[in-house]
Amino acid sequence: MARGQIHNTIRRLRFDHAEMTQQELAEKVGVTRQTVIAIEGDKYSPSLEVAFRIAHVFGVPLEQVFQYVTGESESAA
Amino acid sequence: MDLSYQEKSILGSLMAMVVVYSIYFAGTLRDIGRSDFNGSSLGRLIFTVIAIIVIEIVYHIVLAIEGGVERKDERDILIESKAYRNAYLVLATGASLVITYAIVAGLAGATRIPLTPFLAVNVLLLFMVIAELTHALTQLFYYRRGV
Repeated sequence: MARGQIHNTIRRLRFDHAEMTQQELAEKVGVTRQTVIAIEGDKYSPSLEVAFRIAHVFGVPLEQVFQYVTGESESAA
Repeated sequence: MDLSYQEKSILGSLMAMVVVYSIYFAGTLRDIGRSDFNGSSLGRLIFTVIAIIVIEIVYHIVLAIEGGVERKDERDILIESKAYRNAYLVLATGASLVITYAIVAGLAGATRIPLTPFLAVNVLLLFMVIAELTHALTQLFYYRRGV
């Protein structure tokens, strides 16, 4: 099975939510700012619980925040 | 370079360990070469442990005053567990080498370097220090590269 990558739209969502800072998001989610930076930069895939909490903060479904992208889906697009 | 509280904490501990244990092992090696060496470095070891504790406390107080204390989250715990895995491998390898050497030395009789309690303790201590360094370096690596 092709190994995919998890991408996210957190930067865009923060911008759309009154330019929420990384620190504000980190406090609302209950992680450190460094972790938010790592998630935004696709350097860390958060646990399901943290992923749901991020989606909850923005009031959007999980799949609007995180997308699982495989090589197959990229070439199909 | 923008370092997080955890990275600063690890980096400080790493540097303290390198400096203090370098002094300890340099002194121990110097002692071994002395003709009047009594076969113990317990006093130096106690001093080393106390020095590490004092440096760590002072350093973390300074970090706290700077206002950088952050609670560990799931990413910190994941990185820490990966670091412990690597450190365990180093420590287990070191302990296995010492045990194997003791068995081989016991079976073969006199060896070129006899495994005295002093030597065994210091070799094990060296592997414990290397394991701690591995622990710290692994953490710094994952904080920079990502997990």
